[in-house]
Amino acid sequence: MTKKKILVVDDEGGMTRMLKRNLEATNRYNVRTENSGAAAYTAAAEFLPDLILLDVMMPGVDGGDAAAKIKADKNLSHIPIVFLSAIVKKEETQPTGSNIGGLTFLAKPVKLEDLITCIEKQLGE
Amino acid sequence: MNNESDKHWSVRWLQPTGHRAVVAGAVILMLIALVSLSVYETGGTRNAWLHLMYLPIILAAACFGIYGGIAAALVAGLALGPFMPMNVATGLPQTTSNWMFRIGFFLLVGAFSGLISNFLNGQINRLKETHDDLVKAHEELKSAQMKLIQTAKLESIGRLAAGVAHEVKNPLAVIQLGVDYLTSTTKESTNRDAIETIQEMADAVQRADTVIKGLLNFSRSEKLVLAMVDLNSVIEESLLLVKHELMKNHITLEKNLGLALPRIELDHNKIKQVFINMFMNAIQAMGSNGNLSVKTFIQSAGKNSTGQNAVVQIEDTGSGIAEDKLDKLFEPFFTTKPVGSGTGLGLSVSKNIIELHHGNISIANRKDIRGVVVAIMFPVPNRS
Repeated sequence: MTKKKILVVDDEGGMTRMLKRNLEATNRYNVRTENSGAAAYTAAAEFLPDLILLDVMMPGVDGGDAAAKIKADKNLSHIPIVFLSAIVKKEETQPTGSNIGGLTFLAKPVKLEDLITCIEKQLGE
Repeated sequence: MNNESDKHWSVRWLQPTGHRAVVAGAVILMLIALVSLSVYETGGTRNAWLHLMYLPIILAAACFGIYGGIAAALVAGLALGPFMPMNVATGLPQTTSNWMFRIGFFLLVGAFSGLISNFLNGQINRLKETHDDLVKAHEELKSAQMKLIQTAKLESIGRLAAGVAHEVKNPLAVIQLGVDYLTSTTKESTNRDAIETIQEMADAVQRADTVIKGLLNFSRSEKLVLAMVDLNSVIEESLLLVKHELMKNHITLEKNLGLALPRIELDHNKIKQVFINMFMNAIQAMGSNGNLSVKTFIQSAGKNSTGQNAVVQIEDTGSGIAEDKLDKLFEPFFTTKPVGSGTGLGLSVSKNIIELHHGNISIANRKDIRGVVVAIMFPVPNRS
């Protein structure tokens, strides 16, 4: 089975490392990490992921700006983006992600099984 | 402040009411009788003892004002009447005009002292009213000051909460994923201590997340999404969400939802959050085999208002709340639950939400049996 490519962008190094370790431990995903919003677009263009996990609040280019730039590129606009946010309350999101204004949000801290369910849903698995 | 026992003794006796008025009247009549007897025994109205008659007259004026003074003067004058002829024995003729002159003099003294008494009593009453107004104003000022301090405290906690929540949620997310990773790698392990340790870490992360969630709720409770809502249906929905907890704890539910409840403008989700919070508090307070009663009804808004309130009354059969803790219940981070079981934010968030709807909440111990009664009131819009 081909591994799905996931780009994880979060300014917290610990967060990206943990996500990479957990997702790759499932043997189903190939994960690339970036620690700034500014690097998100370039990484997406190079890596061409199947899904992007994007932190919302980041210094400099935040998650919203990074997503807008990615969605504006017709070669990347089809890639589903899941926002990981510490601001969104659990009540405002389902544990496995919820759609707020056409965007998918997951509230931090997220459980691995919920994260994987959300990823599977977004990838249509 | 209008309580009889709050008055100074001099005010109680110089402006007597009730049984004190009867005692004062009796004393005045007795004094008049005594002076009359003295006059009789000492040889008549020409004797100096007669001047003692001014005492009960002035006393009556002091106690009962101008009418009291006049009444006492008349009684005193009439009381002397039977003694007037006796003065023949002293060789000094007494006439009716002389008697009338004395009665007139008594009346003059009674009326004049009554006027002074009325004036002084008026001044005392005005001073007392001013004093009461000042005390009331002081209490209002103190209460407003307390509310201001509380509001400032809540606002600063709210501001702090959003910042803290974000800063804490990120490392918490890393810990959560770390715990998940360790859980999956120790799945096959036989090291029970390691597995239990990881489970305890997972529980601790959940607890921390609950606190953060409470803080976020607290900081965001000012934004309402209002719609005309049927209060009873919000209660039904909330009860449905705690149904499992009720069944698990063998708690019986007694529902008495008023049929004539009008729709009210509420933030459906926030009010549901309030009810779930109240029901969960009651369930946790009861443990097992309790009785949860939920009533809704319409009640007059009070003496000074023509409006009405929709009331939700929630009663449990738990252990109740210590009296010294009742006034602290709505303070942020105050909890009566065991350590780790409550964030201490639920009630302050709920109160905040209710007050944003112009309602109010009160919590008291039940009078009939052990337990707590929570009353939540929302103003009902005027149908006209």
